[in-house]
Order: sequence, then structure tokens, then C-alpha cells
Amino acid sequence: MLEVKNLVAGYGTIPVLRDVSLTAKAGEILLIGGENGAGKSTLMRAIAGFNKPDSGEILLDGKPIGGTAPEKVAQSGLRLVLDGHRVFPELSVFDNLRMGAAARRGDRAGFNNAVEEIYSVFPILKEKQKLYARDLSGGQQQMLALGQAFIAQPKVLLCDEPSMGLAQALLPPILAFLRRWAQTGTAVVIVEQHLAVTAPYADRAMIIERGQVKFSCLASDLDEKLNAPAHAAE
Amino acid sequence: MLSEILIIVIRGIAIGSIFATIAMSFNIVHGATNIFNFAQGNMFILGGFAAYFLANQVGLGQWTLMLLLSGLLIAAVVTIQGYITLLPLRSSVEQDSWLISTVSVSVIVAALLMITQGPFAYSVSSIVPSFRILGTRTPGAYALAIVAMLFWYFALRFFLRKTFIGLAISALSQDFDAARAAGLPVRRLQLISFAISGLMVGTVGFLVAPVISVSPDAGLKYVLNGFVAAVVGGIGSNAGTLIGGPLVGVVAMLTAYKVGGAYQDLASLLVLVLILMFRPQGLFGRVGARRV
Amino acid sequence: MQAATNIQTGPVSMAETKPKGRFNSDLTQVWIGVGLIAITGFGPVIAGNSYWIHTFQLVNIFIAAAIFQNMLFVDAGQKSFGQGAILGLAAYVTAILYGLHGWSFAAASIGGIVAAMLGGLLFALPALRVQGFHLGFVTMSAAIVFPQLLVTLDKWTNGINGISVTVPALTNPFVLGMSPLAIAVAVFPMIALFVHYGIRRSKLGRSMFVAALSPEAARSLGIKPGVMRFVAFVIAAVGTGICGILYLPTVAFVSPQGFNIELSFVFFFAVVVGGRGQMLGPIIGIWIVYILPNILLAGFVEYRLLMYGCLTLLAVMAFPDGIVGSVERLRAKRKQTGGGEQAFRIDGFLADLQAGKTAREPSEEIAVEVRNGTKKFGEVVAVSAVDLKVRKGEVHGLIGANGSGKTSLLNVLSGLSRLNSGSFMINGVEATNLAADRIANMSLGRTFQAPRIFSQMSLWDNLKIGMDARVGPASADITALAKAMEESFGQDSATLLSHGQRRLVEVMRTVLKEATIVLFDEPAAGLSQSERTNFANLVKFLSRQMGKTVILVEHDLDLVWGIADTITVLEQGRVVSSGKPDVVAKDPAVQHMFVGSRHA
Repeated sequence: MLEVKNLVAGYGTIPVLRDVSLTAKAGEILLIGGENGAGKSTLMRAIAGFNKPDSGEILLDGKPIGGTAPEKVAQSGLRLVLDGHRVFPELSVFDNLRMGAAARRGDRAGFNNAVEEIYSVFPILKEKQKLYARDLSGGQQQMLALGQAFIAQPKVLLCDEPSMGLAQALLPPILAFLRRWAQTGTAVVIVEQHLAVTAPYADRAMIIERGQVKFSCLASDLDEKLNAPAHAAE
Repeated sequence: MLSEILIIVIRGIAIGSIFATIAMSFNIVHGATNIFNFAQGNMFILGGFAAYFLANQVGLGQWTLMLLLSGLLIAAVVTIQGYITLLPLRSSVEQDSWLISTVSVSVIVAALLMITQGPFAYSVSSIVPSFRILGTRTPGAYALAIVAMLFWYFALRFFLRKTFIGLAISALSQDFDAARAAGLPVRRLQLISFAISGLMVGTVGFLVAPVISVSPDAGLKYVLNGFVAAVVGGIGSNAGTLIGGPLVGVVAMLTAYKVGGAYQDLASLLVLVLILMFRPQGLFGRVGARRV
Repeated sequence: MQAATNIQTGPVSMAETKPKGRFNSDLTQVWIGVGLIAITGFGPVIAGNSYWIHTFQLVNIFIAAAIFQNMLFVDAGQKSFGQGAILGLAAYVTAILYGLHGWSFAAASIGGIVAAMLGGLLFALPALRVQGFHLGFVTMSAAIVFPQLLVTLDKWTNGINGISVTVPALTNPFVLGMSPLAIAVAVFPMIALFVHYGIRRSKLGRSMFVAALSPEAARSLGIKPGVMRFVAFVIAAVGTGICGILYLPTVAFVSPQGFNIELSFVFFFAVVVGGRGQMLGPIIGIWIVYILPNILLAGFVEYRLLMYGCLTLLAVMAFPDGIVGSVERLRAKRKQTGGGEQAFRIDGFLADLQAGKTAREPSEEIAVEVRNGTKKFGEVVAVSAVDLKVRKGEVHGLIGANGSGKTSLLNVLSGLSRLNSGSFMINGVEATNLAADRIANMSLGRTFQAPRIFSQMSLWDNLKIGMDARVGPASADITALAKAMEESFGQDSATLLSHGQRRLVEVMRTVLKEATIVLFDEPAAGLSQSERTNFANLVKFLSRQMGKTVILVEHDLDLVWGIADTITVLEQGRVVSSGKPDVVAKDPAVQHMFVGSRHA
């Protein structure tokens, strides 16, 4: 579904990613981990079109999307949920969901169904649907950001650090939602620091270190793989 | 004496309503693109010329039709201008080119008017009869100016909060990256915001033509005062312009009354400098709050 | 400690044999400009054509004004649309004093220059608070208001009728049939060119430029951006004022219509059409923008404004670099040097610098101390009651997750933001409330996450900013180092440098500045593995061989553990652990930092 080959990208003259390759398959969750500053967010932003790759290929359903503007990427079915639970603060909760329809290839009824589905998964959003998004808590904003992406029904969902700024306890319901979403045939990529919490929901995992892929494995093997090498500083 | 002041204040509010509408037209483009259209004053004057050529001494029916037509015409002109202005921003690192291109478009419009119409001020008849306030005859177009300001304020409010495209333009001004990630058609929305700003100044220029100097060199005065109104109200705040515009208008009228008509623009300049020095976010602007 | 010898190995770039093309053609352009001005200034006199004499006198005055606009607009980054009003102010004040009040022309001229300076200061005042389009609107408004005032204040200005003056002493033939005025009008734009060139080559010019492009980098180098803007406006005002004084005897008449906004637009448009920042730009620009419509198409004088506007719009769309700029770009593309692996290596220089000196260990003296420091942004507490001691000569690592307050703390230490409560001292001196430029002058240097490299300057000028930021005179070592680097990099471009090399340029700035305390903000981000190793060695070298105190904010825990003498861990603005690396690594409060990938 999503295929990234030998991606080299960065900000301006700052190279961040060196030769990163990955694939995300429909119905699967790929977990990407790594330290702060390893290049995880840059990878997400490069795939979604915010950073122009210096070289390498990004294929969505076999079609190259590298260098395409982010809004075009979103319209072609790849949706990035930015880190830091970014919503439109001065729009109501419902209107934030409406904005999701911009990238939707569907009809009015489909939109209503999708909204209903989001409301049933996150009832708090229905309760607060008339409030401004700025009045939500960080966790609720993250639900809203994901809900907005869900409305678009993308083929590929990239989710950058859904836990950022959230209490840890809020993460499992969000991950469970992503899990169910993936099972409907969406390819989901999650970037996350909290690997122990996230890994059980993922199918495959990949660790990025200093802009390069350190290793990839099944999510169930992640724990073992990480513990294998000794702590370098000790 | 007191009633004289009162009349001046009322006229100031009316003139200021024009500034407020221009300020709102700045805001919608600035929110969506970060561009300030220096040519907006001349686009406004184009509306005045449209009134002169299309609707001088005509009946109400034709007048209404022509109002809509000139609004659309000027919206089209501003949209083309917006397209040209946005063109180099797509690829270039140099993000200041709009400053130069909008100034040069402003000069081009003024020059074209000068060449075709000469350096004269045209007088346009009013469709609305004059009325009396406190015993003084007041041109009807002053009332139209206030009505137009309120109309556009509420129309924008409705558009930006209730319609999909309006909400999308709001979203663009609140979080540009998140809007792109959501797949909002950025370029198209930006052009729509240019079109709306053109529609606003085109119709208002048309409406107030009887009370302004419809001449090729008048545009600069309005772009300046519109900008001052936007800064006083807080850039990005349409509600702020409802106060900022009339405030600037009243200051200008009082200056004209107390000191002399030639000092109006100087007074606006002083207001601008004072606000920028002591309260750059405007009287009603809050840091971090970008209400539309 | 053998860092001096193994920072990097390999040849030093001094060995390059190929002769280098010039980094820019500024000087060539100045001489071409002088030639063009001489031809147009003196040529018509020799040919005896009075029409062309007069025309080119005015053109050359406008060229001089456009040269100052160019300096103000590009070198100092100030978007002024009102320089025509400054010119008019000087011309009018001189005309009033000379023509209406009977002052001598010399005394009246001084009055004119003072008036222009005051005008420049008025423009500079709002520039202290706002930039960009705000300033554009303010200056444009001033240019709109100026002729209105001339008309209104007719008591002093003669209003709409203007003032006619003659200055026989200046306009009568003097040598070779040329009047003193003719000579002055031809020579002044040449002087303006050399002034612009000289400023650009000077410490002042570089400081202005850095202040315009990156105010925070400027402040961290001890430059006050506000002062730079003031200076730029005043220099431009004096130069433009002299143009106004020359205008008076040349035209022999001033009237409000002569100084409307159109004049300001001519200067601004000329700079854009000719090529922003190019020495020759204003000359070519004025020729095209002014001569073309006014002289060649004199029959269609009403099309003048239209031509200005269309030419400028065309230039922005088709030649964003302007005419001279486009030519220069082609030249630079062919001649540009300074790319590739060997473009910027510093090992050889540093080895020379420290040859024969012994390594030192951190002392027990305190270089930086923070006491109970708290920094808030609105409701968010970025730094919370932090105590921190950094010893002289040590490498002190600051680590923590995104948003833990590391960079906020670094910004406080370099003076870019201020503590809400608590205090900090640098080398025993209270620094809590000092501005960034003052702190920079206390021997502190820093780098930024995105290196502040200025592509418009040569590589050496990029380094020289560090020399400019020195407080005292340079030691013999540093002088020699600077000389060697100037020879190597004087004509190189900084554009092609890799990110790692750019990082090194910033480090070398602090070396040239002889900062004793250096702050690094995530220096390893974007460096490759081998560059990280080299960087680690460089930091060790700075600390052990040069005795500098290093504070390092960094995500790469391997790197920090490899070189730091002390590590402080921040979490949500608080210090959760601090001490020697091996102790901190075992601190339970820190363990979860490694959980992210469990392989720090």
C-alpha cells in the first residue's frame, strides 16, 4: 500500500533521514520507534509531502507521490495526523470533523456514518460537539484529530506520536481504536516513544536511529530485540 | 457646538466604516495567505469608477444589478491579481516578493485609471436620498457605508463559521500545516479569499462613490486608512475593525474640523505609529488568539 | 588527551591549486558603475548637449538615492517605501533657508541634511518595534503625507507654488566648461557606490546584514539589531539628503508635486528591477525605470507610471534577481567555489593554534551558575526552579525529552529570553537581567539548531562575523588563524557547504570570538555517524586543549555520555538528576529515558 524506498530527506540544508525504506500493508499497524531527534517526525512529514525528499521514492498504491504537495497527498488517500494533537482551535468539534471531509472520496451519507462511528467510539466528542476545539483537553484533541482523519477514510494513516502531551492512561483506548481501524483494511503507521504500551497493538515494528533504520521486526519480537544489545553508556 | 461635534462623530463613524470594510478585506486575505494587498485601495476606487460608469443616475433596479456586477468584476480582477501574486511564492525561497508585486499592481491600476480617465475626481449621484441628522443634511451614502460594514461583518461571520469553504479558510489561518495535512485545497482557498476581498471592496467602493473622491490617486488614502483600521483593531480580528475603523474615521474627521482637512492623513499616520510603538497587537488583538 | 592531533585527518583545503573565481563581483560592478556615471555625467558636457546634460544630472542624483535605498533595503533589510520624502525634505528645507530666508547655500544645506536625518530617525522609530509590511505601510504613508503637508504649510513652503532658486556660484562654468554642480552631481553617485561597497565590506555592514537576516544570531554575537536599524536609516537619510540638496540647484525649483509618492516608488522599483543588493543594480534600474519612460518615450509621458509598475511586476515574476542579479547569478554559478568534502576543514587550523600546548582538566571554579531559575511561557512552565552549576573548562551535557526545558534554559543563559524568577551568574557576574548582546560580550558564544549561515556572504565573511564579535584585540594565535582562513576561504561560497560543515562554521565563529563559554543547541542533529565522531573530538578539543566551558544540549545520548564531564537531566522543566555520567546513567529517575528505545 505504502512503500518508501531509500528515502533521503531533511529540512533545508539539514539532512535528517539517510536511506530509509519501509512498507506499510493494508490491515496492518507498523510501529516506528526511536529516540528523540532520530528523525521519526521528519520521516512522517517527508512521506506526507511537507518536506521534499532529496532522493528516494515514495509509492502509494504503486504511484509515486514524492515531492507532491501535502494537500494533494492527503486527497490521494494518505493522511498524516501531526504530533501535538493539532486541531483547529477556533472551530467547533463538529466543524473540525467536517474539515476531514476535504480529503474524502465519498458521499454525504458516508460522512454522516463516519461521524456517527467516531461519536460512538469517543462519546465525549459527541457530548462536546458544539464547543470550540481549544476547550478540549489534550487527549480529547487527539481523539478529534484522529476522528478528523477517520472521516477522510484514507488508504494509509500516519500517526505521529499520538501520546505526546497526553496522560499515559489515555493511550490504550486510542490505540485500540487504531487497531480496529486497521482491521477495516487501512494501512496504519504509528510513531511512538512509548513502545511497551504500543507494541501489543502493532503487527510490525521498526526502530530508527540517527536517521537510519536500525532494525525491523515483528512487533511481538520487539522487546527481545531491544534488550539484546547492552546499554552502551554503562 | 455640541451638536456640531456629534455630527462630525457620526460622519467619522460613516467614513470609518469604509476603512473597517477595507480592513476586513485585508484580514481575510492575510489570514489565508499572510499577504497584505497594497493594491486594495485602488481596487476599492475601481468600485467607485464602476458606480460612475454603470450606475450614475439610474433607477433602483439597474443600480442593484450593477452593484452586483461591479462587485463580481472587481472580485475577478483581485482574483487574477492574487493568482499572479501567489505564483512566485510556490517555489521561491524569497517570500517577500508579494510586497513588491502588490505595490506594483497598485501603481499599475492607478496609472491605467489616470491614462483612461484623467486626473479628475468624478462625482456620482446617490441612489439613497440625503437625510437630516440634528438639522444637518447628511448624504445617504454615509448610511450605506455603515450598512455595508455591518453587512460584510455579519456575512463574513456567517461564511467563516457556517459554510464549508469559509470554515476551511478559517482553518487555514488557524493552523496552516494541519490544514494541508487534512487535504484542504490550499491554493484554491487562497484564491477564494482574494475573490471575497475583491467582492467586499468592489461593492463598498460602488456604494460610497457619492461621498468619496472617485479619482485615480485616491486609492492610496484608502489603503493607508484601511491598514490603520486593521492595525488598531488588531490584525486578523474582524470585530476589532468595527471599532478600529470608526475610531480612525472619527480621528480623521475631528482633525479636519479642528486643524484642517489637509491633516487627515497625517493624523492617521500618527495613530498608526503610536499603535505600532505601544501596542503592536492592536487595541483588541490578543496574542495567540486569531478569531475570524 | 590527544584530541589536537586526531580531530580529523586528511589534507587541508589550503592546498587547492586551481585559481578561484571571485565570490562576488561587487568591486567589478563598482568600477563599471563609476565608468557609466562618468560617461553620463561628463560625456554630455564634452559633447555640449544641454538637454542631455540636464537630464543625466537628474538621473545621476536619482541613481545616488537608489544606491542608498539598495543599501537600506538589502544590506539592512529595511523595507522603506518613503525615501523620496527624505530627498524632498532635504531639498525643501534647503530651499526655504536659502531661497526664502537668505541663508548661505552651505548653511542651508546643513539645515537640509539635519532635516533629512530627523526624517530618517522618524522612520527608524517604528522600525524598532515592527518590520516587514508594517514598516512598508508606515513609510509609504509618510511619503503620501509629505507633499500634502508641503501644500498645507504654505506659510513656510509657498504651498502649491513651490520655491524657485538659483545658485549661480554652483551653476557657472568652473573647469573644462563644467560647473561645480555638474562635477558634484557626477561625483556624488560614485561616492555613494564606494560608501555602499565600503559599508558592505566593513564590520558595520556585516553586523547590519546579520541583524537583518537573523536577529537572534546577531544578538548572540553582541550586535544590537535596533541600533543597526537606526544606523542604517540615518546613513541612508544623510545620503538621500545630499541627493535632495543637489536636486535643488539642478532643477532650480521645488514644488510639492515633485516629491509625491511616485518618486519613492521610482527608487524602490529601480532597486528591484536592477537587482536587489547588486552594486550596479540601482544604475541599471534607474536607467530602465526612469530614462526609458521619461526620455525615450517622452511623447507618452502619461504612460510613465504604468511603465514603472509593469516593469517591476515583470521583474518580480520573470527575473526575481533583477537584471544585474540574473547576470551575476550566471557568473557565480560558473565560478562558484567551496563545495565538496574538502570545502571546509578546520583540523589543520586548530592543530596550528594549539601546537605545543598542554592539555588541561576542568577546574573547580564555577563558570555558569543558575539559582532557582524559573521560566514561564504564559501558563506553561518551561523551566522550573532549576539549580545548575557548570565548572570552568568542563563539558556539561543537558539532556531530556522534547519540551523538557533544555532549549528554554539555553535561551535564558544566552539572554534571548529572561527568567521569571531566580537568577544566574556568568563567571561570577550577575547576568539575570542582561540583554543577549551584553551576555555575548561576557565571552559567551552559542550555536543554533539550524546553523545561521548567510549565503550572500563569502565563507570567510561568514567566519569573520566571529572576529567582529570580539570584545578585545585578538591574540597573535587568533590573528594568524584568521589570516590563514581568509586566504583559504575569502572567495568561497558558503552555499554549497554540507550541514556538518555549516555546523563547524558556527563553531569556528565562537573560536574566533574567543568565547570562553560555548553553548551548543542540539549540535549533532543532522550529522552523520562519522561527523558525530569528529564533532565529539572537536568538543573535547575545545574543552581540554583550549580550556573552554561547553554546555551541550543534545538528544544523542551516546555522544553526550562519550564526552560530558557532568550530565544534568531535565524533565518537565525540573532537574531530576545531575552528576558524573556513570552515576546519572544508574539513577532510577533517569532510567525511563532509555526506555524509548532501550539502547541509549
